[in-house]
Amino acid sequence: MAAIECRALRKDYRRGDEVIHTLMDVDLSIDAGGFVALMGPSGSGKTTLLNLLAGIDRPTAGSIAVDGTEITRLGRGALAAWRSGTVGYVFQLYNLVPVLTAYENVELPLLLHPLTRAERHRRVSEALELVGLAARHSHLPRQLSGGQEQRVAIARAIVTRPRLLLADEPTGDLDRESAAQVMDLLARLNRELGQTIVMVTHDPATALRALRTVHLEKGSIVDATVRAEAAP
Amino acid sequence: MIVRFLPFTYAARNLGRSKARLAMSVGGAMLVALLAMGGTAFVLGMDGALRASGIDRNVVLLGAGSEESAERSEIAAATPGIVVASLRGIAAIDGIPLASPEVNVALTVDARGAGRDEPDAGGLVRGITPTAFLVHPQVRIRAGRTPTAGSDEVMLGRSAARAAGFDDAALARMLDAGTEPPQVRIDGRACRIVGLFDAPGTVMDGEAWMPLTDVLVLTRRETVSAVVLTLAPGATVGQVDAFAQRRIDLELSAIHEPEYYAVQGAFFRPVQVMVAASAGLVALGALLGGLNTMYGAFASRVRELAMLQVLGYGRIAVVASMAQEALIATMAGALAAAALAAAFLDGIAIHFSMGTFALVVDERTVAVGLAAGLITGIAGCMAPAVHCLRMPIPSALKAD
Repeated sequence: MAAIECRALRKDYRRGDEVIHTLMDVDLSIDAGGFVALMGPSGSGKTTLLNLLAGIDRPTAGSIAVDGTEITRLGRGALAAWRSGTVGYVFQLYNLVPVLTAYENVELPLLLHPLTRAERHRRVSEALELVGLAARHSHLPRQLSGGQEQRVAIARAIVTRPRLLLADEPTGDLDRESAAQVMDLLARLNRELGQTIVMVTHDPATALRALRTVHLEKGSIVDATVRAEAAP
Repeated sequence: MIVRFLPFTYAARNLGRSKARLAMSVGGAMLVALLAMGGTAFVLGMDGALRASGIDRNVVLLGAGSEESAERSEIAAATPGIVVASLRGIAAIDGIPLASPEVNVALTVDARGAGRDEPDAGGLVRGITPTAFLVHPQVRIRAGRTPTAGSDEVMLGRSAARAAGFDDAALARMLDAGTEPPQVRIDGRACRIVGLFDAPGTVMDGEAWMPLTDVLVLTRRETVSAVVLTLAPGATVGQVDAFAQRRIDLELSAIHEPEYYAVQGAFFRPVQVMVAASAGLVALGALLGGLNTMYGAFASRVRELAMLQVLGYGRIAVVASMAQEALIATMAGALAAAALAAAFLDGIAIHFSMGTFALVVDERTVAVGLAAGLITGIAGCMAPAVHCLRMPIPSALKAD
């Protein structure tokens, strides 16, 4: 069964009298447990597509079903609640809260769920353990390297055990070594935990770590490559 | 739908991001609250003093056409005697009718004659007879005695003594000890201070009282300003009013004493409005400064606020957190302002043409200050909240 089902997805922006077609009739299915890289030049619509999948932007036309939920029909509040339970989002610039520790940053999305403090503690500890930063739980973001910050951001994205992990250029701001560590982590989450991941990237080598690469150009899917096994 | 809020620690710790911004937010709110409290303390003090100065059983007889002002009023010197002889319903103690002829004049009260290096102080001088202490029971002699006519003597209200540059406690000790009393020059005439009185919370506390005849001589007057009567039980203001209207020859008008001071209050309303407006204008400047600072603090976090929405926090939760953050700063400022007002504003004597009143910092004043802090906080977070949250999340995530 497809985890994500996009049909005739269109997104237009208006700039004065001009209408900019960012996405044009995109059809896309992503299976549960899939690992998809969205590639394409700047302005091709890959980040717009990711934002639509995350429910933080609304399509001009078309439908998006995630695990059977038609998210384009949800209101603002319902969409926020849906996001908190279904989506984990990894940003290019990490977006950690600078005044909160790594532990508190990871705990932030859990506060939206009716969990006991002990349960939250267990989940945060597990997530930090998974990204290899359990020992850094009390560090503030400024006390961490870029790669470590991104790993905390990944812990924050997975701590709610979302069905869908979305990543916007997760290695775009990292050096080669840190980028490799982050990609190893995402690949492991997909392989070992069956986490469905959709990732935007410019880097072909990073895209090779996914099982499928979807190429966009001028708002349309122009090519899709499926690999039996991701690059190591 | 249950709204889940951001943790309080998020709002509290955000305050520490920029100490300079925090100081400006707290300082701005403190200034706004202090000015609001200053204006309120002024209005409450003046109103309270005027209200406390009037006694329900008293009626003031003024010269007809004086527009209800004792300072403008003139009554023939013989009239008080005629009133006492003709009007029924005046209270009496030990056979002494409670009718006090008085002269109210604004003169300079200068303490430099006693070797003190204090500037001239304008003051209200009331010429009185001993009956004045009976019709104005708020006045209590604190030290010394009443002045004797023809002896160039004066007694000062506590606030008047302070305004002339004296330490009232030291003056009281000096008067009780019977040492040579200091002098003041009233309208240039050297007078010995022989007594000190308290009339707390009333305009009389800021007056200098001299024998009626001495003031008439000093001011070269032949008329008194007013006759203050205390009504006997059962007598009414209407009776006195009817008397004043019937005796056209005496050219009197009667006014209930609380109403007299209420009219004075209305006369000073423009002053109160001006003081409140001036405080409001300066406070508005401080408010705008504070808002600008808070706007800057939130606007620099547009991306972070968008991230919180991506995590699933609703707009209400984000606005509530912003409001918490702003209110912690502004209420801290307002509380500091309340402490400063209680320590430094409360009781400050303000002199005006009716006498003296003290700034009042009470629960109402503090409530106004806290409300000012509350408004500053809410206004401070609303503009950036609208700016940050109206922006589409994808655009906000790209913000610098």
